[in-house]
Amino acid sequence: MNNKELILFYCFIAILISTAFIAIAVGAVPISFMDMIHSIKHWMNGEESGSIYEGVFIQLRLPRVLLCGMSGAILAVSGVLMQGLFRNPIVEPGLTGTSAGAAFGASIVFVISTGLPIALQNITGIFILPLFAFIGGLIATYMVYSLSQNSKQSSVTALLLTGIAVNAVALSGIGFMSYIARDPQARSITFWNLGTFSGASWLQVFIVGIIGIVSLLFSFRFAKDLNILQLGDEEAGYLGLNAQQLKKRVLLLNTIAVSVVTAFTGVIGFVGLIVPHIMRMIIGSNHKKLLPFSMITGSIFLLLADIMARTIAAPAELPIGIITSVIGAPIFIILLKKIGLLNQTGVKND
Amino acid sequence: MQKISFVLLLVFLASCGLSKKEKKPDSADLRIVSVSKHLTEILFALGKGHNIVACDLTSSYPDSAKMLPKVGYHRALNAEGIISMNPDIVIHSNDIGPLTVLPQLEKLGLKTMAFKGANTLDSAKMLISALGAYFGVPQNAVTINNKIDADMLTVAKERALHSDTPSVMIIHYGQANNVFFVMSGRKGAGDQMIESAGAKVAKYDAKGARQISAEAVALANPDIIIATDFGFDKMGSAENFKSIPGVALTNAAKNNRIYRFEEHDLVYFGPRSGENILKLMQLIHPKK
Repeated sequence: MNNKELILFYCFIAILISTAFIAIAVGAVPISFMDMIHSIKHWMNGEESGSIYEGVFIQLRLPRVLLCGMSGAILAVSGVLMQGLFRNPIVEPGLTGTSAGAAFGASIVFVISTGLPIALQNITGIFILPLFAFIGGLIATYMVYSLSQNSKQSSVTALLLTGIAVNAVALSGIGFMSYIARDPQARSITFWNLGTFSGASWLQVFIVGIIGIVSLLFSFRFAKDLNILQLGDEEAGYLGLNAQQLKKRVLLLNTIAVSVVTAFTGVIGFVGLIVPHIMRMIIGSNHKKLLPFSMITGSIFLLLADIMARTIAAPAELPIGIITSVIGAPIFIILLKKIGLLNQTGVKND
Repeated sequence: MQKISFVLLLVFLASCGLSKKEKKPDSADLRIVSVSKHLTEILFALGKGHNIVACDLTSSYPDSAKMLPKVGYHRALNAEGIISMNPDIVIHSNDIGPLTVLPQLEKLGLKTMAFKGANTLDSAKMLISALGAYFGVPQNAVTINNKIDADMLTVAKERALHSDTPSVMIIHYGQANNVFFVMSGRKGAGDQMIESAGAKVAKYDAKGARQISAEAVALANPDIIIATDFGFDKMGSAENFKSIPGVALTNAAKNNRIYRFEEHDLVYFGPRSGENILKLMQLIHPKK
């Protein structure tokens, strides 16, 4: 990064930190600065929270903001990885079936959870939903990947088309589950498909945090290879890059990270599509810069969306997926039209 | 030193007690958040409506409930929204979601109570008694339950004047495009109300699905169709409702026996179920 970009990067970090502070301060329950200080003090000393406001801050608000910020970073980075891997600007994490598979897993829990073995329900408790979603996401992505391998050469087109087919299967599965569901169950499925952070807990923060940090670190190691891959599979091969191996690794990393996030928060669309595009426009398509920039701005974007989701309809809250799409899509269209984003992406198609 | 620390301890304990005094359930300024539609209706009937500070999106009866702040859909709640209403107690019927919400509320020391029931008339009466007893208005509960019993007695008397048991189907039409959403025939509240009103449920074969085809409606051939407010109002009149494929072929359409009924009065039993069953019976067995 040159000096100018470095300054920009620090600016984004500053924006992220201030957004996070606003996200912590704003919400249905008013929390004063003193409440936060007291709450952290009590927490450090291992004491009980003094008032319900402190409890809200430490048990609900703080884990929620952290989970939201990390999810934004993970989703944006996986968007960059997928677009780089497929050399295609319309790719987003959902395209390989991860979100649809996870949603199918979740819909099974909503509709027939009482029919599942009691022992399984006892062991998993409130984690039965994330567990099924995670498994659903993994199976769907594995299917996309293994089915597209059957063609003689693993091409990007085969992967994308298989992805569309497997998505369709998962969606019809969700449709069938909604069909046999009772009214409240069907609405639960709809809500889950739009995502929310309202269930955030410290345990989720730790799980997503560990997976997130590991996957982000790994993704930075792929930056150079992804840059080479932009030349095309064959050309990358001449430069000594094992494109097949890279694809496998990136897909595996991506699937695990996105499945974990989706399992806890539901399907949150658009972040992985719009953030990498905007960043590519600002700092170019060098993955070494694109990855860290997208990570920070993905975080900012999702935090802002969550603030709106929590405050617009308070004390109720909107599903965050509605906000990300309603805000993200017009911005995206304006950028496409005004700046000719498509001509500047620097991403070659197959 | 020991004295000082003892005093400090006392102050600490006292301040803990001050932070949230637990109110008695019958105190006049109790703040209740109700996240269940029938609990909301029962509380209003018990004269405790002014204590409800917020309810869920499905609480649509009585009209005053619609004016209250909403904490969201009962399957997609968020703990913070509920806490922001500063409730002394959150009541639910053990069907709220996401699963994380209840543990979150309890962890923060909020009182939550589950009141189950209301899928039969008897359990609804017990629920009314339980809520009346808990919130300190047992006499109001007795009055409501007596009214239900009186209504059911009238139902029995009027029913005795008729010997026929026509078949009835409840159709919640048109929620999605041209979808028949049949609410009877699934052993739910609707079925019990039909039977209490001196009729039988029109049989159809749908293997557990709730959305059935026009052909299945025609085959079930009910003598009477109860159309929920949603579908009836969408079609505009009984005459128009008759024109719906499937419905057109039934005895109900041929004999002009299609009636409008409020949907939420058919999905659970509550304080007005006695009068609702009476109303239903008078539609099914009109006075000669």
